[in-house]
Amino acid sequence: MKIRTLQDLEDIKNKTLHSLYHPDGIKVNFGMAACGIAAGAKKAMAKAQEEWPASGNGLRFAQTGCLGLCQEEPLVDILEPGAPRIVYKHITEEEISELINARLKGDLKEKWALGQFRDPRSVLEEDTPNPIPEGLLAKNIPILEEIPFYSKQLKVALRNCGYLDPDNIEEYIARGGFFALHGCLADLQPTDIIEIIKASGLRGRGGGGFPTGIKWESCRKVHGEEKYAICNADEGDPGAYMDRSILEGDPFSVIEGMIIGAYAIGSHEGYIYVRNEYPLAVRRLIGAIKKAEAYGLLGPDIIGSGFAFSIRISTGAGAFVCGESTALMSSLEGKVGRPRAKYVHTVEKGFHDSPSTLNNVETWANVPVILAKGADWYASLGTERSKGTKVFSLVGKVRNSGLVEIPMGTPLREIIFDMGNGILDGRKFKAVQTGGPSGGCIPEELIDTPVDYEQLTNLGSIMGSGGMIVMDQDTCMVNLARYFMEFLVEESCGQCVPCREGLKRLLQVLTDICEGNGREEDLGLLEELSALLRDVSLCGLGKTAPNPVMSTLRYFRDEYEAHIRDRQCPALVCRGLVPAPCQMACPAGIDIPSYVALIGHARYKDAIELIREDNPFPWVCGLICVHPCEKACRRGEIDAPISIKDLKGFAAEYALKTAGYEKKPVASHREEKVAIIGSGPAGLTVAYYLAREGYPVTVFEAESVPGGMLSLGIPEYRLPRRIIAREIESIKALGVEIKTNTAIGKDLTLDDLRGQGFAAFFLGIGASKGFGLNIEGESDFDGVIDCISFLKKVNLSEEVNIGQRMVVVGGGYSSMDTSRTCIRLGVPEVSIVYRRSKDEAPASKEEIQAAQEEGVRIHFLTIPKRVKGRDGKVTHLECMKADLGKQDESGRRRPVPVKGTEFDIEADSIILAIGQSVDLGLIIEAREIGVTSRSTFQVEPETLQTDMPDVFAGGDCVTGPSTVIEAIAAGKKAAKSIHRYLRGESLEEKIYHPVKRMKVEEIEVIKEERETLKRPDMPLLPVEKRKSTFEKAELGLTEEMARNEAKRCLRCDLHG
Amino acid sequence: MEQAHDLDLMRLDTLIEEKFDNNPEALIMVLQEVNAEYNYVPQEALRYVAEKLDIPLSTVYSIATFYKAFHLEPRGKHIISQCLGTACHVRGAVRIKDKIESLLSIKAGETTEDMRYTFESVRCLGCCGLGPVVKVDEDVYSNVERDHVDKILEKYQ
Repeated sequence: MKIRTLQDLEDIKNKTLHSLYHPDGIKVNFGMAACGIAAGAKKAMAKAQEEWPASGNGLRFAQTGCLGLCQEEPLVDILEPGAPRIVYKHITEEEISELINARLKGDLKEKWALGQFRDPRSVLEEDTPNPIPEGLLAKNIPILEEIPFYSKQLKVALRNCGYLDPDNIEEYIARGGFFALHGCLADLQPTDIIEIIKASGLRGRGGGGFPTGIKWESCRKVHGEEKYAICNADEGDPGAYMDRSILEGDPFSVIEGMIIGAYAIGSHEGYIYVRNEYPLAVRRLIGAIKKAEAYGLLGPDIIGSGFAFSIRISTGAGAFVCGESTALMSSLEGKVGRPRAKYVHTVEKGFHDSPSTLNNVETWANVPVILAKGADWYASLGTERSKGTKVFSLVGKVRNSGLVEIPMGTPLREIIFDMGNGILDGRKFKAVQTGGPSGGCIPEELIDTPVDYEQLTNLGSIMGSGGMIVMDQDTCMVNLARYFMEFLVEESCGQCVPCREGLKRLLQVLTDICEGNGREEDLGLLEELSALLRDVSLCGLGKTAPNPVMSTLRYFRDEYEAHIRDRQCPALVCRGLVPAPCQMACPAGIDIPSYVALIGHARYKDAIELIREDNPFPWVCGLICVHPCEKACRRGEIDAPISIKDLKGFAAEYALKTAGYEKKPVASHREEKVAIIGSGPAGLTVAYYLAREGYPVTVFEAESVPGGMLSLGIPEYRLPRRIIAREIESIKALGVEIKTNTAIGKDLTLDDLRGQGFAAFFLGIGASKGFGLNIEGESDFDGVIDCISFLKKVNLSEEVNIGQRMVVVGGGYSSMDTSRTCIRLGVPEVSIVYRRSKDEAPASKEEIQAAQEEGVRIHFLTIPKRVKGRDGKVTHLECMKADLGKQDESGRRRPVPVKGTEFDIEADSIILAIGQSVDLGLIIEAREIGVTSRSTFQVEPETLQTDMPDVFAGGDCVTGPSTVIEAIAAGKKAAKSIHRYLRGESLEEKIYHPVKRMKVEEIEVIKEERETLKRPDMPLLPVEKRKSTFEKAELGLTEEMARNEAKRCLRCDLHG
Repeated sequence: MEQAHDLDLMRLDTLIEEKFDNNPEALIMVLQEVNAEYNYVPQEALRYVAEKLDIPLSTVYSIATFYKAFHLEPRGKHIISQCLGTACHVRGAVRIKDKIESLLSIKAGETTEDMRYTFESVRCLGCCGLGPVVKVDEDVYSNVERDHVDKILEKYQ
């Protein structure tokens, strides 16, 4: 039928309202825009249709557009007489049958609901009563309009998206469509319409923000036979998709807007230039145009007014530059889409050299509402110079992603944190990118800015078409700028030199910076190039192209500098600048791939000095480090990890056997004295770094030798004393004074030291108090001792008397150390009792194997039950066998005792190696400093500062018993904090991550050789010799072994 | 350029006359039809279209190379399009791209030797709320993770 009168429209409206809002049975609407389909809506609908083929059961299925909350797609909206109208989320083909079955049985499936409509009417339906009476609302389902994503929205351009079938023109009419058009044609002169649009303050929604009414007026005033009304649906900004949603969800709104515009400017022919990447939008538009023609809403005599207008569709072929008006029109003519200089505007000479008005999809979709509700209504929304509402695509690292339409002037913070519900995975917000490749990035400190055209421009970004990409700490801003330049280089039409060549240079400079080849002067170069592009490019693409670079330089200059000066990518994105997995795994962050490569190049001295930048104990670690780096090594996924630990030991040994370590440069003298309590690896590391900063450092040690656990807790055969001494010497060489036999707490207090002028303190007193077993008989007999006291005595060459039969309890390194020490002391029977299996043991496989080779008998899955004795002396340890049960908090399977498996192991001594705690009694002020429930010092984890601001603590006395490398890492951290504290700087470090210190060339090796090389076995002393001597058991890699081993490295630092 | 296709020139001729009325301004859309039909634009078609619409071959060629939608080389049976729009980019699209490239042993823009897959990176498919997005032929996959890629590709043999 052709619509000829207002009554015709009214009739259709009244006839359709019933099926739209009050279906006879259950009506299921599937959100079938491209996003819904991608999430599975089409399959869900097909499944429903398959299961309930005929509609005899009162079921009806329909398609709608997108309700905007893409995150929760597929969305299904169910209408039923007498029931609330509920929108369900995540309804795929797997859920749909259950949902419909439930609804058929009267179950509302509240748990699956996103929300229920309070009022689904559009802004154009004031005359229609709300189809949902108050009493119908369900109690347990949120009101859709009240959930944060929707509560601030006002849908004008999106008024019908998700509410009607986009292919159904009658539903569009029922929701108030085409009444505005009728009003224009019947009652208004074209100039009246232009005045209304001007008064409304509507500005172009495609990017430029040019006042629409003025554009129309200029076009109307130009003389010309033919004039064109054109819709720009070439939505090319990556990250913006509101135009797609409107075309797919409500194509008639665009058509109605275009007819009104055409009438206003005097055009009879219109075009929609739509991206071919939107096939569904193209299909729906074609369908909509045909329907509109059939109803007499397009064609020779629209609604009986005599006004003629037709619309054709032209599909773009993939060129971002065609979003520019002159390029678009050139493309419409079947030519290459190159912009021309706009000394004559397209409103005068555009398509076919005729006056042409080009507006984008969202702009056209606003027009009917403005005519229907009046300019004043529209102008009452928004800010002084930006009126109405704007659709944004809120995407990226935000929890609720989707399309939101809000009044202009809403602050970014409300959009991102209220509607968007903050950042995904609890990460930290970093910036929001608006305006696509022509826009910029807005940092956190500016997100209270209200969003309108002027404000965004002032911040160095633009409104653009409304893309709003939220970024978190994992986004690298330099990489992002590079990403946009890459995009623009591809999309530049190549016509003008500044854009074609300038963009390439910008990209090249940014690529250099991202790959770690940036130079200090590059930032100036970027600024200079950007200014040039902005000033002299031919069209908008080139003029705005530098925005991503300029805005990131403006707000994130420190990130550029980190890439250039420190060769670091703080977001860990730029591959060439992200530390390799081994370096990331090392608590001390040693630049492992570089030193491995240096060893391969036979530059051993360079290798050791590189290690010493991050670790003052390379040889100690080369011998006893637990090497978490090797667990992370990617070569391990192929065959075996690189022998990172042994290579470090090799380089250290080589250096100390030849010229010795270099003395590291020391900064000029500073006044503030620093006291370090405890000379273990943590304390000496603090001393090493602070001495290098120029501070006078004194280390106080209660024992007679320095080194803490290194000297007292680890046996000589694993870590010879001379090696510890050599490395401590190199620390003393920096001016560090070590006072042994000086116990703080007994001999001196911290306050005494303050009185002596010490300005900062580091507590590294370790954890040396052994835990007990808490079993029967433990304290009733002589001969039960803790391993640390035992090892200490042996290490200090004191006499120990442990008898002929020794049982060690525990499966860690100290258990192996203790039992292997006993073998060397000549104890004939040494056993270990460990309650879990070999796989769960904290000691390495190599250590366990070495102990077994040397004659230690290990009882795995064995739980000590009771200490037995006679005459006050230990005689037996009673044990039970165990099975492995469920996983405990440590992720290991818990041992469960097996009834009736009790057995005795003969023992003259029992040594407990089951962990240690901190002897807080050593420090008098411990309570004031602050302790945890585990009796360790309480510190700020990032700064290691205690409750006393001048006191810092780290190592085992904070973490409980841990590894040497963790202690060294804590020492590094504490040294940084103490330095900042003494300099009066903030202790907070923005982001900590290891430093890539060099870029070492790859070793030349053919791929096959690299693949076939095997990890070397560490040469060991013969077992027989090992058993009777405290000589170092590991002989170290040979030079040939080391250099071959370096060749196996995959160089993740270079290749990502 | 390869010339394996038997081009049905009659059909092309009819299409240009009936659907596009011999209108030279329809050149882009004519080429889109050809591209959709063969997955690329064969050289023969370029020549025929130029003659039929009376447009210099050089102009036709410039159009075919200016717009991204046109491909002058034959493409694979299945077209994998990886979205590299900004939203997908910040959600880790590059990792997915790397994975696809390593699985197929080709780079973006290339076709596997067996002509089964062509892999392309595209700028924004408009499903920004669901990134990272990968499209294979007409099917769109949302929230793709590295581990999903094998399974997705398996479906297209």
